[in-house]
Amino acid sequence: MTDHPIQMPDTLRTAVARDLRPVTPLAPPSKRVVIVAPVAIVLLFASAIVFGVRRDAPALGPWLTWTASTLQMLLGLALIMAALREAVPGTMLSRRALGIVFGTAAIAMLSITFMTWVVSPTTIAPGFVRYVWSVCVAGGVLSALPVVALSGWLAARAFPLRPRIAGAIYGLGAGLIADAGWRLFCHFSDPSHVLGAHALAIALVALLGSRFSGSPGSQVRVREP
Amino acid sequence: MHWRDGDELAALMTAYQAGSMPAFEHLYARLAPPLLSYLTSLSRDRARAQDLLQEAFLQIHRSRHAYRSDLPVRPWVFTIARHVWLMDRRTHSRRPHTDHAERSLPDLPVPAAVEGFADRDRVRRALNDLLPDRREALLLHHVWGFSFAEVGRMLGIRPDAAKLRSSRGIVDLRRRLTHD
Repeated sequence: MTDHPIQMPDTLRTAVARDLRPVTPLAPPSKRVVIVAPVAIVLLFASAIVFGVRRDAPALGPWLTWTASTLQMLLGLALIMAALREAVPGTMLSRRALGIVFGTAAIAMLSITFMTWVVSPTTIAPGFVRYVWSVCVAGGVLSALPVVALSGWLAARAFPLRPRIAGAIYGLGAGLIADAGWRLFCHFSDPSHVLGAHALAIALVALLGSRFSGSPGSQVRVREP
Repeated sequence: MHWRDGDELAALMTAYQAGSMPAFEHLYARLAPPLLSYLTSLSRDRARAQDLLQEAFLQIHRSRHAYRSDLPVRPWVFTIARHVWLMDRRTHSRRPHTDHAERSLPDLPVPAAVEGFADRDRVRRALNDLLPDRREALLLHHVWGFSFAEVGRMLGIRPDAAKLRSSRGIVDLRRRLTHD
């Protein structure tokens, strides 16, 4: 094993000494995700306040409206917390953990969709399908943007070495949070609509997070041999 | 073995975050030798590994705020060093290939678990011929003392997958040494 002392090059010493201001260490992901929580809570209520609560809310009852949406929002926050953990070097998620993250999101989405459909089946009138789809996809993506931006900033500060993976996870979390609010307004419970338009919006937000997440790799400058 | 002094490294890292140059110098003195060895094992080219070592320390410096004192220091710095190597490999894969790394036997560290099987050069040669993912898991665990859970978190794999890679590496290594 090569364990002899290694002399520090002057260039490195100078570079470090030039920029040796004190820095504030990052808080754990469980604390950092709290910064996203207020935005998530606003998003949960925003659509219902601005556009009104879904028409079939009395039929669904509080469990399938507010409780389901709150649980979905909390799942979204948990995913953002997982992304913030993934973003810290040395604590990256295994493939199995990533599978659990994405699988849990899919199962939650499917469960809420089918329970809602069973209790209150509502379909879109023919001729309005494209319009409703476009409203739900655009609404879902646009309302997720503040959470994506905030989570992206938090993740980038942690120096993610797999920024696309971290971005996909917090994007998925942001998409779920936005959809948790959006489903309180959109009363179309038809699985083809929810698993089409709403899931598409979530997937697009995850893609957005993955595509635009900050990469420290771009900062690496390796000398030529 | 000085790998167990995680608390001391964490204290140095915290002092470095607070702006202490002596703390950085101590960290460099403690971490540079194993990091150079690790980067040599990854790049199989000591000259390139020395360049990568400086890049790794620059990255560590840029991202020092991202270190949390509740985390062990070594997995954090090794993961950053690994990333620097990956970026370098990506850069060089886009350029005309030179076989400089293949010409000479790199100065790979020898795990204690196989040290008695042959002389160091033979062990190094056998290590050099191992599959890269097995060699890396084997060295991280047997040479630098990381637990399999830490190796898993560094490589983005499950702890049992890290253990499997390492043990297959040891089996391969022993087979090569006994059959040669």
